[in-house]
Amino acid sequence: MVSPVLLLAVPLGLALCVPLVGRVSRRAAGFVPVIASLFNLVVSIRLLPTVLEEPIVANLGGFPPPFGITLFAGPVGMLLSALIALAGLVVSLYALSYIKTGPTVRYHTLYMLLLVGATGVVLTGDVFNLFVFFEILCISSYALVAYVGDRAGIEASVKYLIQGALGSALLLIGIGLLYGLFGTLNMADIAARIDSVDSVPVFVAMALIVVGLGVEAAIFPLNAWLPDAHSSAPSSISAILSGIAIQVGLYAVVRMVFTVFGASSVLLFFVFLGLLTLLIGELCAFAQNNIKRMLAYSSIGQMGLIMFALAIATTGSVTGGLFQMVSHTLSKALLFLAVGYMVYRSGSLEISSLEGMGRRMPLTSFAFTIGVFSLVGLPPFIGFPSKLLIVRSALAEQGVLLQVLIGLVLLATVIEGAYFFRVIQTVYFKKEEGQEARQDAPPMALLSMFVFVAFIVVIGVYPNLITDVLESGASELLERANYIGSVLG
Amino acid sequence: MRATVGLILLAVIGVGVGISLLAIPFGAPKTEIGDYYIENAREDTGATNVVTSVVVGYRAFDTLGEVTVLFVAALGLGAVLATAGGKRGRSGVEPASLILSAGNIFLFPLILLFGAYIFTHGHLTPGGGFQGGAVIASAFLLVYLSSPGKRINESGASLTESVSGLVFVAIGLLGLTHGTHYFLANFLPKGALNTLFSAGIIPVIYCAIGLKVGSELAGVVDNLMEETE
Repeated sequence: MVSPVLLLAVPLGLALCVPLVGRVSRRAAGFVPVIASLFNLVVSIRLLPTVLEEPIVANLGGFPPPFGITLFAGPVGMLLSALIALAGLVVSLYALSYIKTGPTVRYHTLYMLLLVGATGVVLTGDVFNLFVFFEILCISSYALVAYVGDRAGIEASVKYLIQGALGSALLLIGIGLLYGLFGTLNMADIAARIDSVDSVPVFVAMALIVVGLGVEAAIFPLNAWLPDAHSSAPSSISAILSGIAIQVGLYAVVRMVFTVFGASSVLLFFVFLGLLTLLIGELCAFAQNNIKRMLAYSSIGQMGLIMFALAIATTGSVTGGLFQMVSHTLSKALLFLAVGYMVYRSGSLEISSLEGMGRRMPLTSFAFTIGVFSLVGLPPFIGFPSKLLIVRSALAEQGVLLQVLIGLVLLATVIEGAYFFRVIQTVYFKKEEGQEARQDAPPMALLSMFVFVAFIVVIGVYPNLITDVLESGASELLERANYIGSVLG
Repeated sequence: MRATVGLILLAVIGVGVGISLLAIPFGAPKTEIGDYYIENAREDTGATNVVTSVVVGYRAFDTLGEVTVLFVAALGLGAVLATAGGKRGRSGVEPASLILSAGNIFLFPLILLFGAYIFTHGHLTPGGGFQGGAVIASAFLLVYLSSPGKRINESGASLTESVSGLVFVAIGLLGLTHGTHYFLANFLPKGALNTLFSAGIIPVIYCAIGLKVGSELAGVVDNLMEETE
């Protein structure tokens, strides 16, 4: 049997090889992330059928839990690691033509380590190990945001660094408190003992951990860094930060709250927080003139929606939340990739400068349009079944409160549609004075965009392809007794 | 207004952490896991230093992650400085005094030797790869302070960094294929307690970490020194 630790060890080893490959050929260094992501994608997909029957628990170093470190590869972990590998693969293909200047070898190394960090967070079963991989993820993001080296990039990176470091510090204090209270770092072991101590210290630890992780997960009001960071980073990095990094942060929050703390009493608070994040994100996005900032705010809104769905905590809504994660990764990464070249050709981030792009870059504009339709939730794209599932499962719940809240969610979707269609209108239907020559994105970039388009359409038409994984993922998150049982035996 | 809000938040966090700390019994008998480590560490890992047996034995995977965190930080610093400022020379720096430059000639090899001692004996005495690496980097810092014209061999440092990192990962993967089939399993013979060649993979990993941390921190010093003017 293939061990899930290969998903971390092999890319990490390859990341260390990038500087060595870079000595031989700078161009070849860009292919290492492609190979590593492809490896992870194949292994994740190969392991998926196994983990659907029973999660794989890997004891590292051969020490049984709780004495050593455990990796827990369940349906959620495998789904997210496959998603990280897929997005990582496509974006690294895009970067082959997009990242030309600057210290490219360092870029590819940091990029790979970012993916290793994200994969580690979704696979680990140990709270301190979670912190370590979270740091790898965050620190490589700080550096990559500043990659362009302009004033805006450095400023955004420093903002991100300060807020992220503060979040990490709170997270570490929270983990320290947990270790003090329970004398163990294994997630399942803590979960099994959570009722054995007074609830006030446990609540404090949970609050610190949620706030610490919430900075990366872009939960309101901890997301002030995000619009700057996501809009100043190179577009390939914006795609990974929006599509992967913040969702991994949200996954970590959910894993801690659902599995480790089993805190069902605070979920209503998270429902409201999610809704607030959604509304604020979409309203701010509506007011933007800068296309990348608009996409960044839209990511905040989407995180709010996912959090809203997950916090309702029924099988249907958690399935919908996970589905929305997949849908957001594919759609938002596609949008950032398409915008990357549109902005490059027009030379400006203003939405108004995208006039006439429909003729100048027809294929890129087409890919952009598919991304928009999917994100807004139009059939037959992946955003439609995922949003439909969230709305349906929320309506299935009894109670007027949730019905009102779901009305607000639909309102947010309308706002989302409004600002996105404004962009589509600018791209296709605004008049253009000087007719410019047709000049689309390079073939490799187009190929990577259309891989996303293919996934968006195929899963949109056949959502049953992934619903099995999503449903068992939902039950993994909701049934913590099974999680504890499968780790501690 | 902002200061008040900040102070209130700080007070809330302080009180919360304070209350939680009161619930944790200090000085009470160790936890179950702590007891287990103290009882079984020598037998499980072959290391006499229990701290090392936790850091490179029971929780070796965290250590691999921490080494990576340092790698990411050093690499990120290099990338940001390279794009933001470009490399600048250190021509304007005044030469150091005779005492510093003469002392450096004697001390440099001794500090390197001491650093190497610390990381090769990590499983026997206090210290280990991170500490030894930091000592080694301090030797390079001394060179930078004493002779402004000298620089480390950047490509050699990055080669050491990558290769020693790869050694760590490779040892982990060998554990997966040899003997017990666990990643980072101690597949080498554990030897006799309290001897230099004991504890299986632990000294090998610590040597790799020592070299890696040493070259990384020296690289960080190098990067920052260029930016001082």
